[in-house]
Amino acid sequence: MSAPILETRSLTKRFGGLTAVDNLSLTLPSGRLHAIIGPNGAGKTTLFNLVSGLLTPSAGRVLFRGKDITGLKPHEISRLGIKRTLQIKSVFNQLSVADNLWITWAASNRVLHPFRAAADDRDARQRVERTLEQTGLTALARRPAGTLSYGDVALLEIGMALISDPQLLLLDEPTCGMSPAETDRAVQKIRDMAKNIDIIIIEHDMPVVFEIADDITVMAQGAVLASGNAEEIAADERVREAYLGRPEDEDYVEEAAHA
Amino acid sequence: MTARNIERALFAAFAAFMLSVPWTIPALLSGFWVNLVAEILIWSLFAASVNLLFGYVGLLSFGQALYFGFGMYGVGIGIDQLGLTFWPAFGLGIVAAMAMALVSGVLAVRLTWHYFAIITVVFSLIFYFLAVSMKWLTGGDDGINFSMPPTFTFGKSIWSFTDQTFQYFFILATVALCFYLMHRVVRSPLGKAFLAIRDNDVRASLIGLNVYLLRLVAFVMAGFLAGVAGALFAFFGRYASATYMFYQVSGEAVVWAIVGGAGMLFGPIIGTSVFILIRELVSTHWEHHALIVGFVAILVVRLAPKGLAGLWADWLENREKPPAEAITVNTLRTEP
Repeated sequence: MSAPILETRSLTKRFGGLTAVDNLSLTLPSGRLHAIIGPNGAGKTTLFNLVSGLLTPSAGRVLFRGKDITGLKPHEISRLGIKRTLQIKSVFNQLSVADNLWITWAASNRVLHPFRAAADDRDARQRVERTLEQTGLTALARRPAGTLSYGDVALLEIGMALISDPQLLLLDEPTCGMSPAETDRAVQKIRDMAKNIDIIIIEHDMPVVFEIADDITVMAQGAVLASGNAEEIAADERVREAYLGRPEDEDYVEEAAHA
Repeated sequence: MTARNIERALFAAFAAFMLSVPWTIPALLSGFWVNLVAEILIWSLFAASVNLLFGYVGLLSFGQALYFGFGMYGVGIGIDQLGLTFWPAFGLGIVAAMAMALVSGVLAVRLTWHYFAIITVVFSLIFYFLAVSMKWLTGGDDGINFSMPPTFTFGKSIWSFTDQTFQYFFILATVALCFYLMHRVVRSPLGKAFLAIRDNDVRASLIGLNVYLLRLVAFVMAGFLAGVAGALFAFFGRYASATYMFYQVSGEAVVWAIVGGAGMLFGPIIGTSVFILIRELVSTHWEHHALIVGFVAILVVRLAPKGLAGLWADWLENREKPPAEAITVNTLRTEP
């Protein structure tokens, strides 16, 4: 068996008296689309922040393909091929859509030349054009990203993930705030990407999770509550109690169990 | 005319005017005003260093006078105490400014916003007081007066700042070269990385940009611009003085850059011209001319958050669009 794409060993993050991630040991094998779910405050986003280097763990290690990446800076981790999106949609608002893609590509592929005009880089331009087509944003290429609709920003985020050639992609609630139609489009894109890229997704939208995830890890209070495939998770009593037991989610659980 | 053509025509007219200053201005006004235009050019370059940091990288520095001062002292000390000729002294001023920017930048760019602004002020205050007290090196309050070495010597013909026209063209050429370099930088991959950091530094780090290093690079580049401006100003006035290292000088450059239009290449030139002209025209008649400066600054910041150059750019953009869309773009652009 090859090294797992991501592994955490006794990972812990404390904020003062609060333990957001508590002695968490995860092993995520390569080649599967992994979802992390859990109630608010379960430590999911903190886990992403620890993996991507925005936070430094209080204890424990993070391993990417068997390589210890604990304590590396965000840009160093990014250059290893771990890319992520943020829960609150986050792009470069005053740059054009094309420039958002351009800089994302250049940041991981090029030495930043101080004097040559950016527009002269042919490879980059072609790659940007292709990504614009892939995400259906060609018509909006010159618009400042800050003027896009919410769904288009989400598509741009996905485009930025695509163009950065990630090996591991961390998606933090990618369909949050999307209309049903936009969600369908995004889910389709994520599925396409998952064919070539290892993806870990945090998601609150249960139908989305049960639809796309190969493996599901349920977190509660900073620790793993359960893990398994959709059926196992839907059948798990503790998960029902902690998270899925809320009446409004009941239907989804039934649906998933019989899928 | 398209927006691009209008801008080109304006730039050509501006360039033609700048090149004709030594002949047109004395004919219309007097020789004094040629020197005033030269002074505006130097201060515009200084304001450009604030603009590079604030307008393109999102760092508001209230300490750029420190690097201006190092540029000045590099020239003053180089000529007066080390006996350097023109070019080595010029080089010393620029290198001193960049070295100081590197040293203070290593500490300052770890911080952002008000913390960054405060630490830049602190640095410039420390060195201001050092400069005032180290009389043996800096001349203290009196500063350093030096006699001007020639710039070029070809056999018997000598070119030097004592010739007002040569002085003007040397300053114009140097400032134009610096603005051209800045123009190249902001359009380059490096410049786009700067803009990405200005917009969203967390995201920038997540796509793999070394935010700290890029901010430091920008800080040293800004130190270069301020240093060149300081060195030119030393040649221009034939002296170096700690007065120009005081943080009030930094503050003025911030006002010039923001009123002119931060994030626009020509913003600092517009802002600096407006305020220096106000100063020259009003200060002889009324001692409280700073009141007008404040009033204009508040007015522009309230009514045109992107500065005078931003007003112009918005107007240029909107005239090509149908009115409805123009309004949307306008409101969106003023969002923070």
